[in-house]
Amino acid sequence: MAMRELVSGGAACAVPGSSSSSNPLGALANSLIGSSSKTKERLEEIPTSTSTSSGRQFDEQYQPPQLPGSEFDRPFLQPGTQGSDFIGAFRSADHGGLADAWDEIQQHSHVAPPLPHPRDAEFQRIYDRGPAQPTLEGPPQRVLSNFLHSFVESSRGGLPFHPTPLPMLGLSERDKQCIRDRSSIMARHFFADKSEDFISAQVNALLSSLDIDSDVRAKGPQPAPVRELEAYWNESQGIMQPNSHATDGWVAEFGQQRHGDPNAWVHSFEQQHGSNGWASEFEQEQSQLASVDHMRGVNVANLAAMEQTRMLANTLAQNGDPKFQNSKFLQFVSKMSRGELIIDDNQVKPTSGDWATEYQQQYNAGPSWADEFTSHGPDRWVNEFASEREQQRSVDDKWIDEFSNLRVNDWAEEFENQVGEGALGDNSADNWANAYDEFMNEQIATKQHSDASKGIYVFSDMNPYVGHPNPLKEGQDLFRKGLLSEAVLALEAEVLKNPENSEGWRLLGIAHAENDDDQQAIAAMMRAQEADSTNLEVLLALGVSHTNELEQAAALKYLFGWLRHHPKYGTLAPPELSDSLYYADIARLFNEAAQLSPDDADVHVVLGVLYNLSREYDKAIESFQTALKLKPHDYSLWNKLGATQANSVQSADAILAYQHALDLKPNYVRAWANMGISYANQGMYEDSIRYYVRALAMNPKADNAWQYLRISLSCASRDDMLEACDSRNLDVLQKEFPL
Amino acid sequence: MGSAQLKSDQLLELMKQHLATDEGKDLCKKINLVYQIKIAPKKLGFDEVTYTVDLKKGEVLKGAYEGGKADATFSFKDDDFVKVALGKMNPQIAFMRGAMKIKGSLSAAQKFTPDIFPKPPVSKL
Repeated sequence: MAMRELVSGGAACAVPGSSSSSNPLGALANSLIGSSSKTKERLEEIPTSTSTSSGRQFDEQYQPPQLPGSEFDRPFLQPGTQGSDFIGAFRSADHGGLADAWDEIQQHSHVAPPLPHPRDAEFQRIYDRGPAQPTLEGPPQRVLSNFLHSFVESSRGGLPFHPTPLPMLGLSERDKQCIRDRSSIMARHFFADKSEDFISAQVNALLSSLDIDSDVRAKGPQPAPVRELEAYWNESQGIMQPNSHATDGWVAEFGQQRHGDPNAWVHSFEQQHGSNGWASEFEQEQSQLASVDHMRGVNVANLAAMEQTRMLANTLAQNGDPKFQNSKFLQFVSKMSRGELIIDDNQVKPTSGDWATEYQQQYNAGPSWADEFTSHGPDRWVNEFASEREQQRSVDDKWIDEFSNLRVNDWAEEFENQVGEGALGDNSADNWANAYDEFMNEQIATKQHSDASKGIYVFSDMNPYVGHPNPLKEGQDLFRKGLLSEAVLALEAEVLKNPENSEGWRLLGIAHAENDDDQQAIAAMMRAQEADSTNLEVLLALGVSHTNELEQAAALKYLFGWLRHHPKYGTLAPPELSDSLYYADIARLFNEAAQLSPDDADVHVVLGVLYNLSREYDKAIESFQTALKLKPHDYSLWNKLGATQANSVQSADAILAYQHALDLKPNYVRAWANMGISYANQGMYEDSIRYYVRALAMNPKADNAWQYLRISLSCASRDDMLEACDSRNLDVLQKEFPL
Repeated sequence: MGSAQLKSDQLLELMKQHLATDEGKDLCKKINLVYQIKIAPKKLGFDEVTYTVDLKKGEVLKGAYEGGKADATFSFKDDDFVKVALGKMNPQIAFMRGAMKIKGSLSAAQKFTPDIFPKPPVSKL
């Protein structure tokens, strides 16, 4: 069945005995636009039902000045057909809403009795409290409003509402349905903190008093105004130039909209009905309520949306086409109407449990859902709609066909997708949590790593030098002899004995550095610096070790410290610089120092280290070579030159430099290990293995060397030796790879 | 030992170990491609040794890729591969100079950067 028929109310659409319109799209428009207008219109019509069913006659008979919304009734009075009456009523609703009507009912009530509960002070203020015992007499309109008022009264104390005998009000089926719908909404609004059972009991009490069947789906004969709406709708569909027609502004607005700015339609829509209607009014009161009595509120707009979608679903459900009945769109709409789906931040979400709880969470979350909905929801919907319209500027008939052919499915898919996204969102929340865990673990790992780098010095377990009468002297001797690992033990004994001995820590740090263990070197040097913060050797050693660990910021800090504490160059270093160290500044300062005294090898050494930091290896090599001319017997300087050359892919040159270093200091573990690296970098893996093994024989704790040895063994296809490497069996390795 | 004494061997061995680490697994997730790298000791196209760097499974194998077609195949001289892998030579420049030949998907080849290689052994000052 074409959507066109849905719209135009073709024969296929008509469902016999339907209380709703036989025109589903008309009803859609009705339910979307008329949420406020219809109610009031019906309130106005209620009294008329007692005598006749004509609104016009009612106006002639009875028009109390205090009647809610009566000031808008003028169009209602205009002579004409019943249809025009209806349209008039439709239009009259533009300016008000149920809220207005309701408020007025409240305001016209009488003196207030004492408050039953302190929190109701707010209620008092908002509702301008009415009488405890409403008069259930007088004109039907008054009776009804008082009766509804007493229903509201019952909400204050949370007291059960008891059915009350009422005079015949002569409500029409449509009126009844309207009251039923509204009262169930308002009941949820009032009794947010009550159970669903309580709410339905309250509503049922109200409805039974009014002789209204509580079956929501109750159907009666189709009321005349709906037919009128249908006719009206059809009429508007047929109009190409709506302005020329004598219909009211709604159609004009709509017609203009068709060729104009899509937002304007939204605005006019909102002006007429939406955001200024009873929903927002109630919302406002609701938020005031919430300030006194938190969580009492129910999102009225949410309910209104549900209500509207429920009506839409009803309307659509009456369509007999099985294809349409099975459509995802209809399923979506009915889910919406049952509250299984809600729209939140333009996302369709399934509501799992109690909608009230759901709402409370949203309510806590901050910006009100209603605002969200009114500011974004319709906007977006209409934008989508309007953009379709933009593409379809041709005759109205065409868009109906278009709509029926494409849009329903597209919509359904889109909603489906959104629901799917909602489900995905849940998954991604899990992912997020996992990612967060991973992140935390990484952070912890990094922290541990940086702790080690920051220098928690790790002492050896079994130290034969503990208790030695002069471990410092012993350590210095061992260091001089080149027995680095032994020297480390003796110096550890010294610093255990004299933790404040800067020289002990310094020599320990140097021993570790020469033993190719920068972590321990840094740890020891930091203790040395604590004891003597201006020791230039310590500062330089820290700068070098941090450079080796690729920690630029720390390296810069210590190298700058070296300059600042240098008796000759200290004046070059502006103290304010120490807050924010930039490589370029430090390098410039050291170049100045080098110009000041070009014969100071130390300045060139620091410059060489700095250029290593910035990976300017050519300059670094130059600096070290200059320094070596001044200090040719400094083995550590030869090693620095070699390492720089190696890192600059000049491994053959590096080996010559290392050879110099080893000639000067045969037990220089670092140089042996560097030697291995340089051979490996040249693809000479067999040779590299020998050097690694040699280095490890002198210091089995050099973890890096073990790792490199393994790589070289693999590259040399000596997988047979991997096990010896993994078990750190030096005897086997030394036998296999003698140097 | 044959011709298998390439400087690149060490890097690819490092790569193999690197891919076993968490960092290496992340890399595989990110790249998810298979590269084939042909390395010639002296002259392009002569005595080439082929490596498969499988950044889907996280493997480095000697020999051609057996699981189908590699996403991209590179040909290098030994020295040039080391320079590119260590970040001493930009892969784009290497390609323009003819130091690197590419077969296969160009978009796959563009993900072949020094970043995918682990840090080589650093000589200590």
